[in-house]
Formats: sequence, structure tokens, C-alpha cells
Amino acid sequence: MEYDKIILGAGIYGLYSADFCARRGERVLVLEYDPKPFSRATYVNQARVHMGYHYPRSLATAVKSAGYFERFVKDYHFCINGEFEQIYATSREFSWTDADEFQKFCEAAGIFCQRVHEGAYFKAGMCDGAFLTREYTYDAMLLKNYFLKNLEIRKNAELRFGVKLQSIQKSGGVYELHTEDGSVLYTPFLLNATYASTNQIIKKIQGEPFPIKYELCEIILCQVQEELKGLGITVMDGPFFSIMPFGRTGLHSLTSVTFTPHMTCYESLPEFDCQKREGSACSPESLGNCNHCMERPETAFPYMKNLAEKYLKEQYRFSYHHSLFSMKPILLASEIDDSRPTVIRVHTKSPAFVSVLSGKINTVYDLDEVLSDGE
Amino acid sequence: MENKEKNFISAVVYIRNNQETVENFLTKLHGALSGLFERFEIICVDDASEDKSVERIRRYAKERENITLTLLQMSHFHGLELSMDAGNDLSIGDFVYEFDSCLCDYDTGLIEEIYRKSQEGYDIVAAVPDQKLRKSSGVFYTVFQKFSAQRINMKTERFRILSRRAINRIHMMNDSIPYRKVIYANCGLHTDCVTYHSSVSGLQTGERREMTEYRMNLALDSLILFTQAGYKISVRLTTGMMLVTLICALYAAGIFLNGRAITGWTTTMLFLSLAFCGLFGILTIVIKYLSILVHLIFRKKKYTYGSIEKISRE
Repeated sequence: MEYDKIILGAGIYGLYSADFCARRGERVLVLEYDPKPFSRATYVNQARVHMGYHYPRSLATAVKSAGYFERFVKDYHFCINGEFEQIYATSREFSWTDADEFQKFCEAAGIFCQRVHEGAYFKAGMCDGAFLTREYTYDAMLLKNYFLKNLEIRKNAELRFGVKLQSIQKSGGVYELHTEDGSVLYTPFLLNATYASTNQIIKKIQGEPFPIKYELCEIILCQVQEELKGLGITVMDGPFFSIMPFGRTGLHSLTSVTFTPHMTCYESLPEFDCQKREGSACSPESLGNCNHCMERPETAFPYMKNLAEKYLKEQYRFSYHHSLFSMKPILLASEIDDSRPTVIRVHTKSPAFVSVLSGKINTVYDLDEVLSDGE
Repeated sequence: MENKEKNFISAVVYIRNNQETVENFLTKLHGALSGLFERFEIICVDDASEDKSVERIRRYAKERENITLTLLQMSHFHGLELSMDAGNDLSIGDFVYEFDSCLCDYDTGLIEEIYRKSQEGYDIVAAVPDQKLRKSSGVFYTVFQKFSAQRINMKTERFRILSRRAINRIHMMNDSIPYRKVIYANCGLHTDCVTYHSSVSGLQTGERREMTEYRMNLALDSLILFTQAGYKISVRLTTGMMLVTLICALYAAGIFLNGRAITGWTTTMLFLSLAFCGLFGILTIVIKYLSILVHLIFRKKKYTYGSIEKISRE
């Protein structure tokens, strides 16, 4: 079977691309390892629609996020939760930035930020400034339903789940994909949108891997008391935490820079001790789904709770609901300046093999250019 | 196993060129904490060690699973007080242990004893060895107590535990914490200490020179910041000098009346005496101003309290 484009990975980048190409009348196929779309990082993250506040040390990233923010919120308004106050605060100690710098940064990036009294949210002496900002959260499940419905009505888009790729070979002007169930697929354009598995796919065509490290991350979902309900709080920029609404689920996500990553791997392929325990389902060559894994680590909630409660005033309380786990690849170059660029790498031209790696959902539009084949 | 304490504990350890002792100390500490608490973290504050301390800490942490250890490296030598401040600021525990050194001259059961004591209602509990004081420490403590407004019973402390409440209180009261022992003693909350028999006989010797210098400076700073020593000494000196100049003036007047004075001598003497007298007076006032300024800048709150208790209701 031959397709105009084959997309690996049914996360936001994969389904966005499928939708984009299907609208253009192309025959597309999405291959997903898991039985359902949006099973990994698209769902398992803070669900933040980035406005740029998060990158006070990388103006370029901030400006770009802000630009895409409006567009994303407009295009996908049905999954957006903007009904809460998003507070950003700078920690008095151990922060890479301070209140004045943050304010200057927001002005330079042209994003809304209004100084509020930090004593309203934080214990005395913990933060040197707090700001009311404009930032939203998206609901991955609503977004998933939208894409599925959209793709379903198109005859030229096909989605296959539970697909295990065996090999990818170049044959003439097309890529030839072999799956474990014996099917052979052909395409002149292969998009690798697998995020944490990106190097594993690249390895199959002997391409140049991304310089990344891997972090096994835990997103904790919490039930919050009344006072926290309409509130999202992020303390930055350093070993701090964030608690904010998780889409439209009514729960809050709790994350921290130090406790969210449980394990780190600096190899080109994700190699973890837990893979040995787990058996065949997960290996450095083929990542399983950490969220459904029996070997996933114990929750770090007690640690994060103490960290958050050290900062937050007594009235802002929350309790554990459940945890989500996923593997996160982080570009090594972005450690110092905090930038989170979307990297699109064209490995081969004809047939085309393109990899995309991005840690934010609203920069998905970066793909438009490469998907329209330079038209 | 199920009966472990539920409080979250942070242990902040000061490391400065401790390559010989650090691993052993961490092993003991970890053993004691894991036997007692369900959850805890260890924060090693490395004060720019020049030896292999950092390597040893890394090696220690790598060899173990399920350990929450943070290594905070100071960019240059800051000294004990500032480094421990940094460690405290990073800690997230409900209770925080402060280990000022890797010297473990006590039975590890003492770590539990200190914690139990704090649960009796003491926000700060210190472990005090029954060693003889260093001579320099003895002199410092005596001078300090003589000039301090508060009655502080200062002793050499090996380690201590603080409640989060105490840490919050201390942050509220002070902009900076130049000398923890005094700030802690003055925070107004209940404090106590547990004395133990030190397994190290006699005084430690071989303290590094930089440490001695650091302690001397710290002692001077503390005396000026926390006590009335500077003010009292200078007031006494100036009052003394004023008296001397007055006697001088009287002497000059006596000579003049006896008619044995050379022309101009009496005027010069009188002028000098009175001028110095005035100068010393002004100095006293300036010093008083300075001591008030130091106090105002340094302390955020004017008063401290132990607790509020409502004992009658209408």
C-alpha cells in the first residue's frame, strides 16, 4: 500500500500533521505504537499553552510562544481552559531571575504581566515578586476527540494503532516500512513525530540522532481546595514547582523541577534499569508506555507537597489524586539558556524523512512549512 | 517499619574539605534517618572544597538507590554561616537538621533523641557535647554574654533541629542571618539542648587557619551586631576621656590662679580641654546613632513573642 505521507506517532504533532495533509487532499497514514492516540507526552504533561513566561532566559523562545499562543487558542478554543488566574512568582532564593528582571523580560517579549502582592499567595520572605499573567491550559482528551472526529470523516486519512515497526528501508524513490504483523507500506514522505522515541526511529534509517537526554517524568494530579480552584501558581526560575489546572478535568497538575524527573539517561537511546526488570515490552530500541508500566516509580508526591507547602500560604491546600508518567527527551543544547526550540530535521530529501522534536504543543504550526513540501 | 515518623525531614550538612569523613558520616546519618523517618532528604552544602569531598559525595549517592540527596556547591568559600543559610533555604522539610560538621562524636541514637525532644514542644533543639570549650570560644561567649541584652546561654553545638515554624519566624524577623546561634536564641520560640558525652577526648586540634580567621571575624561581627559591646565600650571610653580633659582644665585653671602660668598657656590648655571634651561628647552621640541604625536595618520586627494564649473570654 502506498501513501503520500506516513506519520509515525499519534500525538499532537502526528495528528496535527495528518489533519493538515488530509485537508490538502493527500492520502495519509498514521502509525501508532499504543492502542490509543494521545497516550503519552501530549496527554502526560502540564497541559500548559505556553505564552512564553516560562523562558525568562530565552527571549526568542518567549516571543515565538507568544505568537503561536493566540493562534492556538483561537483554533482549538473548545479544549482551552482560560478560566483561572495564572500567577508567576520569582523565588527569593536560588532563582535564576528576580522580580524586576522578570518584569523587564515580559515587557521585552510583549506579554501581559501585572504585579500583584506576593504576600497574598506566599509565605513571608519566600518570593520577591508575584505577577498575574495570561496563560491557559488545554485538555488533551478534548483535543484528541476533535482530531479523531475530523480525521474520521476524511476518506484519505487512515489511523492504525498498536503497530510495531520492524524496519524502514529505502527502495527507489520511496520508504518501505515493515510492521510486525506483516504489512508492507510505501511512502515518499515519512514524518517521525514520536517525541521520546525519535532517536529509535532515526536509528532504523541510520540517520543522525538528536543530542538529547531522557527524563522519566511524573505529572501528579491533585484535588484542590476551594481557594486554589481558580488559581494556577508557578514559582520560578530554578528548583521550584508549579500547580495549575489540568485542562478541563477539574484537577490540578503538580510538578517540580527537582522531583518531576525520576530518572535520567544521557545515552542516545533511552536506556533505563527498569527496562531490564520489565522484560520484553520496553527496550532502548522500542519504548513502552511508562504510564501503563508496572515498573513505574513510586510517586514523589510527599516531596513535591512539602516543596509547594513551603512556599504557599496555609489556605492553599491540595491532596493526591493520581499520577501520570511519561518519557521526555530534552535537547542538550538548551540547558543553559532555557530555550525550547522546535527542531525539524530533514534527514533525507527524496524520499523524504523528517523528524520533529518539540516540547510545547502550541509550536505545532512550525510543521506547516515542511508539510507543504516548500510550496 | 510502619511506625516510622510521618514528618518530612531535611538534613543539611556542611562540607568543607571532608574527603576522609564525609562518606562515613553520610552512611551513619542515612542509617539513622531511614530507621526513624518515612521520608527525608539530605542536602550537602559544599563550601568550595578543594579536596575530593564532592567526588566522595557523588560516589556515595550513586551507590545507593532510593536516596534523596542534593549537593549544593557554593561558588567560593562562604564560611559556615552563609553556607548553612543557603542549605536551609533549599530545604523543604517540616523539620530541618543542621549538621555544622561531619564530625560524629556521638551515638547516632542522639539524632532520634533530638527529634523526640523537639516533639515535646521545642522549636529548636541543639546537641551539645560535654567537651571543654576552646579557650577562644570561652572568651567570646563570656564577652558576648556580658554585653548582650538578652540572657543567652551559649555553648558549642554539634548539630540541631529546627521546626519549619522556627525557620519561617526567623525569615520574617531578619533580612539576613549572619550568626545563626544568636538569631535562633532570640527568635522567641522555645529552645532546648541535649548534652551528650563526646567520644572525642579533649579538644580537637589542627583546625585550619582559614577557619580560625573566619571564626575570629564572625566573633567580631557578632559582638558588634548582636551586643551593646561597641556602644558600651566607647561610651565608657569617651566618658573617661571627658573626665580626663575636665581634670586638665581644672589643673590649667589652678596653675593660672597660682600665677605660675606662661602667657597663653592657660588659654591653650582650656581651649584644648573643652574642645576634646566636646568632641568626645559628639562621638558618643554618633556612636549611639550608629548602633540604632544597625539595629533598625538589621532587624525587621521590633519585638518577638513566644506564643499567644487567650485565657479569658466574655
